[in-house]
Amino acid sequence: MVLELHVWGPAFSLPSIDAQCLAAIAYLSLTVPKDAWVLVASSDPSVSPTHELPALKNDSTWVSRFRNIVDYLRQYSNGDWDLDQNLSGLEKADNIAFSAFLESRAQSLLDLSLYVTSQNYYNSTSPSYGAILQWPNQWILPPKLHTAAKDRTEHLGLSSLDLEAIEEQRKREHSAAVAAGHIPKNLIPRPRDTVSALLGKTSQQNQFKLEGLTAELFEPLEEILGEKKYFLHTGEAGPTSLDCLALGYLSLALVPELPNSWLRDAMRSKAPQVTEYTERQRKNIFGIVEIEHALSADGAKRSSSILPWQAVQRARLATVGSTLYNTIADATPIWKDIRLNNRTKEALQESSELSGVERRAASMYTDAQTKDVWLSVGTVVAGVAALIGYMAFTTSQATEVYEDQVDEDEDDEPQFVLPDQPMQVGDMLAAL
Amino acid sequence: MTPERRDTPGQTPDNVSTASRARDFFSVPAPVKRIFDRFPLVTYPSNDLPHSAWSDKRGNRLYVFTDAAGARRGRPSFNPQCLKWQAYLRFVGIDFDVIPSNNHASPSGALPFLIPAHPVNNNTPIPSSKLQKWAIEQVHCEEEQQLDLRFEVYASLLDHRIRNAWLYTLYLDPEEFAAVAKPLYVDPSSKNSAVRTALAVQLQQAARTEILKTSSYIDVGALEAEASDAFEALSTLLGDNLHFFDRPNPGLFDASVFAYTHLILDEELGWQRNRLGQLLRQHENLVQHRERLLKFF
Repeated sequence: MVLELHVWGPAFSLPSIDAQCLAAIAYLSLTVPKDAWVLVASSDPSVSPTHELPALKNDSTWVSRFRNIVDYLRQYSNGDWDLDQNLSGLEKADNIAFSAFLESRAQSLLDLSLYVTSQNYYNSTSPSYGAILQWPNQWILPPKLHTAAKDRTEHLGLSSLDLEAIEEQRKREHSAAVAAGHIPKNLIPRPRDTVSALLGKTSQQNQFKLEGLTAELFEPLEEILGEKKYFLHTGEAGPTSLDCLALGYLSLALVPELPNSWLRDAMRSKAPQVTEYTERQRKNIFGIVEIEHALSADGAKRSSSILPWQAVQRARLATVGSTLYNTIADATPIWKDIRLNNRTKEALQESSELSGVERRAASMYTDAQTKDVWLSVGTVVAGVAALIGYMAFTTSQATEVYEDQVDEDEDDEPQFVLPDQPMQVGDMLAAL
Repeated sequence: MTPERRDTPGQTPDNVSTASRARDFFSVPAPVKRIFDRFPLVTYPSNDLPHSAWSDKRGNRLYVFTDAAGARRGRPSFNPQCLKWQAYLRFVGIDFDVIPSNNHASPSGALPFLIPAHPVNNNTPIPSSKLQKWAIEQVHCEEEQQLDLRFEVYASLLDHRIRNAWLYTLYLDPEEFAAVAKPLYVDPSSKNSAVRTALAVQLQQAARTEILKTSSYIDVGALEAEASDAFEALSTLLGDNLHFFDRPNPGLFDASVFAYTHLILDEELGWQRNRLGQLLRQHENLVQHRERLLKFF
């Protein structure tokens, strides 16, 4: 059976725009024989039931995330396709620790460089997504990823790289000054900053912070790599899964030609050996990848790349429909919560490592969550119904009294009219 | 209108108000208005300024999550972030009083923070991010990050892998949340069950958002596997040494590890299943490391 690796599509002459995908591509091309796997630039997380890329497909089994793919390949091949089998105690610990280190530190720097820095996002990242995504995903996914990256890096306090955020902040300050009310509106100077002036003003502060962040990432890497050929091994023992992960993150820091290239400059000045390592490994494992390699239907064009690309299927009407449906569902307040809980449950039922008790406890929890959501839906509906009921009741009562006063003799009128009212309320409830 | 008809329920006596109510659905109904007219029911005398047993203390004051009894005896805090700094200051030999507090008291919105004894009348709090610098100025201990390149690297295991698993276990696992987190974080804040429910939901939502920042869904198996890997790596790093990086005295890294290992292994918290505890007990040297450091308290 041929393994299918689904990834985000190529960009910046790298085979993927996402670091975890690059790491998975590197790992498969180092372990799995070339005729046993194909690479599909599907660029749509909904192909996999876990809604994540990279995802490895074997028949009907789907495995996502780099770490899980590595584990799956080891089990699937009975230990043949495993780069980490010859590690000694401390090397193994280093492998785990440096992987966690890269996933946290390097990911936030890539987020800052590719997404939060406005010039880079609008001039490079966003157009790259436009080239690899199909309609309607090219309108839906990039803003989503952009927001997610901003959320992930919020705590670093570097939002001044983001021109949009600066503009918002300035508007807020402006309106706050107006609201304070002591200054007449037309006397408040409206600052007319150009983009470069804006960047110039905050760039010194940014420079210090970025200097610190990049040093924290690159200095330990430079020190552990040293003169060696790989991060953990000297040469003959070959690369490890850490090398694949590092290649994924570092090549995305080094290779893209960005308008504001602070990350690449920092990498070149702080870690010359790591830079040299990344260039060498990238040439050996990825080569130069054009978008046509991944997306064209022409077989000859595809085979000119060193990676086993397979043509992507055009999106079918059903896929497009489900994408639109999912987008709308995720944008609707209460529906969104229900779906989020269901997603946790699906994932739980799939993962087989959980023991029976654990799984039961976890799905009990998600069930309770779903019940909570339905309870709040019910409360809102009941509240609205009560309001409508009250309005109907007061209207009718007022009319009754009014009639009552016109025909002073008909004392029994209210008793005849009143019983009808609860029926109406009941009808409304039923209708809702 | 006769007096008898006035008493009939459901009929409004006044002509003018009846007509206006017929016109307007949204006018305040008479019974509701009557209730509101009675407010304020009671006006209480104004409260005294907050005063407690520890506001007279003149030493360094560290504000952490803890209860009053624990604060008096200087017991470890039940929050990993607070415990890390509490332990670190203890290890480097700075005297301080522990004061029970919560997030709302902190100028930065996060605990712990410290109000130093010197200079007197200085009320500028030191947030946790600057505590190490302050401690180094006080007792001239080393800045350990500079000594070993692995410090930052292995610290990322604690700050991400173990923290995410901890967040899941404490807040999102329903049994553990009811047994451990609720009595510690929610119940002391209020006696009102509605407020408690709202607080509990907020806490869980915050934990969920934090975990979902790095992945698109919560995979419990993966979180536990990553925590298990992290414990294994830390155990290898510690080896047979008494303290991390073979230092003669415990330092910041020991404090960071102790903050999680102590709480995970602390049976007094009332853990139910304690999956993290099972994973941690496989590494004997980490368990002994925690017991050694517990003697400081």
